Amino acid sequence: MSTARRLFFFGLALTTAAVGNLSAGNVASPTFKHDLYLCVNLSGETGIMGRSGGSKSGLYRSSDRETFTHLGPEHIRMYTLTSDPRERSTLYVAALDGVLRTRDGGRSWRILTSWDMTEPRSIAVDERAPDHLYAGLPDGIAVSRDRGATWQRMNDGIRRTFTQTMTVDRTRAGRVLAGTEKGVFLSEDAARSWTLVQATEETTYDLRQSPHDAKHFLAVTARDGALASQDAGRTWQTIAGLPVDRTLHNCDFDPHESGRLLVCGWGVGVRVSEDNGRTWVDRTGGLPKREVWRAKFDPDIPGRIYAAPYLAPVQVSDDRGRTWRPLQFEKALVFDLAFVPRS
Amino acid sequence: MKPPRCLTLLVLCLTATLASAQPSFAGPAPVPTVIEDAAQRRAAFLARRDEVIAWRAGRAQLGVPATFGLGEIAARLALRQDAAACSAQLIEVLQRPTGDMFWMFPVTCIAYLGRDQLTPAAQAALREAWRTYFPLRGDTENHWVMYYSTLYLMAQLWPDEPGERWFNGKSSAEITAESQAWLLHWMDLTTTIGQGEYDCTHYIGEYSIPMLYLATWAKDPAMRQRGRMMLDYVMADYAVETLNGSYIGAHARTDDTTVLEKWNGLASFFGWLLLGNCPPPANHGGWGFFFAVVADHYELPEVIYRIGTDRAGAYTHRERKRTRHRWRNSDVRNAPVYKTSYVTKDYALGSDQGGLLQPIQQHSWDLTWAVPDPRGVHNTIFSMQPYHGSHELMMYFTEMPDYLPAAVTFQGKPTYIAEDKLLGGSPYEQIFQQDDALISLCDIPAGTNFEQVNGFFSKDLAVVEEDASGWIFVQGGRTFIAFRPLAPYTWRPLAAGGRRLYSPHRQNGTILQAASADEFETWDAFKAAIRALPLTITLAPTPKVSFTNLRGQQLKCAYGAPPRVNGRVIDHEKEWKLFAGPFLNAEVGSRTLTLTHGRLTRVLDFNTLTITDAVAP
Repeated sequence: MSTARRLFFFGLALTTAAVGNLSAGNVASPTFKHDLYLCVNLSGETGIMGRSGGSKSGLYRSSDRETFTHLGPEHIRMYTLTSDPRERSTLYVAALDGVLRTRDGGRSWRILTSWDMTEPRSIAVDERAPDHLYAGLPDGIAVSRDRGATWQRMNDGIRRTFTQTMTVDRTRAGRVLAGTEKGVFLSEDAARSWTLVQATEETTYDLRQSPHDAKHFLAVTARDGALASQDAGRTWQTIAGLPVDRTLHNCDFDPHESGRLLVCGWGVGVRVSEDNGRTWVDRTGGLPKREVWRAKFDPDIPGRIYAAPYLAPVQVSDDRGRTWRPLQFEKALVFDLAFVPRS
Repeated sequence: MKPPRCLTLLVLCLTATLASAQPSFAGPAPVPTVIEDAAQRRAAFLARRDEVIAWRAGRAQLGVPATFGLGEIAARLALRQDAAACSAQLIEVLQRPTGDMFWMFPVTCIAYLGRDQLTPAAQAALREAWRTYFPLRGDTENHWVMYYSTLYLMAQLWPDEPGERWFNGKSSAEITAESQAWLLHWMDLTTTIGQGEYDCTHYIGEYSIPMLYLATWAKDPAMRQRGRMMLDYVMADYAVETLNGSYIGAHARTDDTTVLEKWNGLASFFGWLLLGNCPPPANHGGWGFFFAVVADHYELPEVIYRIGTDRAGAYTHRERKRTRHRWRNSDVRNAPVYKTSYVTKDYALGSDQGGLLQPIQQHSWDLTWAVPDPRGVHNTIFSMQPYHGSHELMMYFTEMPDYLPAAVTFQGKPTYIAEDKLLGGSPYEQIFQQDDALISLCDIPAGTNFEQVNGFFSKDLAVVEEDASGWIFVQGGRTFIAFRPLAPYTWRPLAAGGRRLYSPHRQNGTILQAASADEFETWDAFKAAIRALPLTITLAPTPKVSFTNLRGQQLKCAYGAPPRVNGRVIDHEKEWKLFAGPFLNAEVGSRTLTLTHGRLTRVLDFNTLTITDAVAP
């Protein structure tokens, strides 16, 4: 590359960064309706059970999208997070040790589950019956009807029970979808029975319900690409234009724009669709890696996307993925990016 | 006159070195003997125990914090020395807790040893640490044994406390109930279908130390008895598969060092301490100290001592274990593991049935030969199919698939994805052992990482002869070994010494036959006997071997089919008990273990929590 071209691209990069920072400065107002939470492992490649400590891994909260505060225990395996819709200071975290809960915004914690439930991969609250919690376990599904005080296993109808992800239909209490090793299962009776609605060759890693159309769901998988349902999860169709030979880690709907979707994954980077999944654009350019663990739209800032490449800084884009800038951490493994309403 | 500063430094260093010396590690190897007199046996054991404590206590230099960690504090407390300094240092060390369950058991040990010695401030720091530090429960069986044993004991130390006083938000009563429930579940699983992390060359410590602590400090007599019985159980399981203290044969987990230098693992610390028949590993294997510091509360039953040391002749021992929990890629949570070991005074051949039984560190078979001093000696020979992949990792871990293979190499398993590795199981290897003959068959699909078999040929083999017959004849110690690669091979040097047999063929395998040098007049007679053994090998489309071994048994093995011995189909599921052999016997599901040696019998009955000893007249 010639010196002139190098200078041109250097200047372009500087301009892009400046615009990004300006944009970030403009949006860092206290009017946000949500706080951003990250479940992060900062211990790098060598982080391992039995050696953890000192890395300040665990849960982080940002109220201004620029500064991040560590909450609760140092923990290298906090996987996903949700909150109680009635009391947003109550957070539930699916972690290596079980389902953790704080009722005071992270000051004190309790492991809600016992020895017989370990390594929950996901936790979901039924917004229409908020005492009801659903945890996806490596060996089934656990349900609590009393805000986590007691739990029962409820995975009748599921043979290979590894459950990575769970989501509860926000329009109907007890209507739950589970992403398992061998497909997507649906329960319409609060997990008492399950029906396979979409078989997959390997694990389904994420399930999301559209904030715009409650019948529209997305799922991403390890070997079956991305899937969409337009009938509230009863039937599913493969989304064209996305890889089926790569592990897709997660998907999201843009709360501001009904047709805008994203998926990310290992070797996949970040792909964004502006037309409800008919076409996709690779928005990985500018990210340090194509191995993207998690990506998420910001519900308070139109056009903003966060992406968490593997063992790299968390990135932010204010132009729907066209350009990126590092936001936080140096070498992070971000298991979850979640927004929790402030009230 | 003041001495020169460098001389002072030299003296200090020398003092520290001497104080931290490990006499038995540096001294001559013990000559394996059976001490008949119980009092002498106990005295020798206590002397070894004292050596460990003195060694660890000697590493601590008062006023030099870097030399004074949890182990040194525990050692000084065990000797009832320097309680004030230990207290001050403990407060300091507890400021930076790290290590999860590996922090929990040393701290528990100190809490109990220091109950009447630590200052109120140190006691308060201890208490506070269990509120503020959040140790992870981990994801393996050994993690959980350490986690729940120590939580049980700490909740016992601080009963009636509310959840706000504990890191996990649970009250002392809740912690006690949960810990006890899991410990009983684990003991039940182990005594009915076997341990999951079975026969580990290192992790035996992570089981025996917590069991010793329960046996020593649990107030509940039932839990104390369970701790004692499980400790006997683990030690008996170890002793029966040792050759002069070295853990032989198949292991759920070993490591890149110990898989070659069989003695060099924490297991041998127990051989040294309890059986007195090998040197201790360097630094007593890492965690050995935390057993020794309480070991005066344990007396190895004579029957186990004799199983480990008093070998009248060759024996076959079979046992059943289970796989680690399978989360994916399997319809069973814990698949059975069928182990066979054939042990003589000169060598031991041990194996499992092959397949993916454990992630990453599985070792499916080897032959180990006896050596007078095992330190630095690679007294073993084996082959394996080097495999790695996310299929294996997804089966046993709950993590995302793609990052793990490479990540594993940064997490203490550096060779996991290496083509030349000598550690790990394969879904494409099937193994059968009858007496001291073994047949391993491999049928490796195209595209597998890696399409080859690796064989380990030690630097310490006395003889290696590649025979025109296709056999490779080798001698290790007093063991004659015939090794038959089923497919063409070349040799590659090994950084650790010796050579790697590299056989890049997908239909592949190994036949091994061992014999004692005592059985043959000459080396040539052994070779001639092997050449004369009936043998047919077919590789396509899948490997098949028909081989009549030195003991006259006709073995027929075909990949994908059960083996046959003298025409009889071997049904592992029906034939493999939890333990079966001259020394250990247990039925699947029985919750009992019968230990026998000569006139001595001990029955560990977990149904009734009784230990019954009998001596035949």
